[in-house]
Amino acid sequence: MFAVYRELEGTAYLAIHAIRRLGMLRVPPVMEEFLRQVYFTGASATGGIVLRGAFIGTLIIAYVIEVLNADAGLAVKMLLWVVLREVGPLIAAVLVIQRSGTAVATELALREISGEIASLRRMRIDPYDYLVVPRVLGMALSNAALTLYVQVIAVGGGMVLSSLVVGVPLGEMLTNFFLLASPLDLIYSFIKSLLFGGAIGVVACYHGLHPGGHSINAVPRATIRAVTEGLLLVMLLNVVFAYMVYGSAFFGLVTAQQ
Amino acid sequence: MSALLGYVPMADGESAERIWLDAPGTHSVATLRKNELVAAVLDLQPRSGARLFVLRTEVGALAEPERQALLAKIGFVPADGGLISSLNGWENITLPVAYHAPQRIPELFDEVQELLEDLGGVDDSVLRKLPEEMTLYEKRLVAYVRALLEKPALLLVETAAAGLGPTKRRRTARFAEAYHARCAGGTYVQLEE
Repeated sequence: MFAVYRELEGTAYLAIHAIRRLGMLRVPPVMEEFLRQVYFTGASATGGIVLRGAFIGTLIIAYVIEVLNADAGLAVKMLLWVVLREVGPLIAAVLVIQRSGTAVATELALREISGEIASLRRMRIDPYDYLVVPRVLGMALSNAALTLYVQVIAVGGGMVLSSLVVGVPLGEMLTNFFLLASPLDLIYSFIKSLLFGGAIGVVACYHGLHPGGHSINAVPRATIRAVTEGLLLVMLLNVVFAYMVYGSAFFGLVTAQQ
Repeated sequence: MSALLGYVPMADGESAERIWLDAPGTHSVATLRKNELVAAVLDLQPRSGARLFVLRTEVGALAEPERQALLAKIGFVPADGGLISSLNGWENITLPVAYHAPQRIPELFDEVQELLEDLGGVDDSVLRKLPEEMTLYEKRLVAYVRALLEKPALLLVETAAAGLGPTKRRRTARFAEAYHARCAGGTYVQLEE
């Protein structure tokens, strides 16, 4: 119980520190770390995202039209509600956890064990400023960008591929989409994905910097904790966010009282 | 008590090995264990029941800004170099300066080249290497140049020659000279096991 409390307190402290010390990005080495993180989490992950996004979009439209025997309007509604609002941010978050959350937790745990964190402190460089701030911000922004890619590719690619595979007219789907979509959907998913990315970064940094030992065995343990707790936190945030903004969560299974 | 560096047990009858003194013109009188000394000086944290003096300042009563100012005058070169694994030689050397005084960066390149030539007998390819690609001597050299750029008033160098061949050992003997040439009046402390 005490360990859970300590973890919650530690991650909350890191989150507050990362927000309060955003100004440290003006320091050149911190900015370089930030750019490296954005490149690693955002730019170099794009290829995988594009493929997954297009497949998911096609799958949803094909499933709705072929299996449920629905029309193009319902298929586009499904794309909008499921992909744009919920699945897009979640897919990007899962990809960031799988790729960058593990990498950050492993890297920081190795740095801690090998004495690099102590070395930074001896140079009067605060490891939270130098390592945590750029990683949390980099992962938040990258996750937001990846979410946008997923949404564009899944919705756009899904509609294009569906028009080819299932034979639904592309123009009809586009018309339906622009009738149904609102800027709130994009703002909602942007804010949510920023929050997801930041949360993944904070959890990964916390476990990386506190590997719970000084042997090499502590590294995989830190990584596993970062992944499981990162996923849990993302799911929790998703439910809270959906409930706060739309008054419903779990795809409408839980709704706010009118 | 005005020793440059001192560690004074408060209670009578404490072990002599807990006292370490150095003042201009003298050498260590008695030493702490190396790791304890390094931890005490670099963390400015005396053991409970003892008073710690660093650069003629008693650290116990220092406010945080004074503590940070004092820490800025202390350099340390660990035996393994203490380099950051993701940064190449140049980035490792310039990290503290880039962090604390980025305006100095443009003037550093010539200074670093000069130091490497004076000290190391290595070419500037070491600046492009990651720590994992460097020899032990190159790691120590990079760490030493990094420390010198900050012109510390007190420099602790940990086992500079340990694990090196005869040629490189002779080269490490130049470290102290280079330090005194750049930091007149400073104190160079060689830490051995």
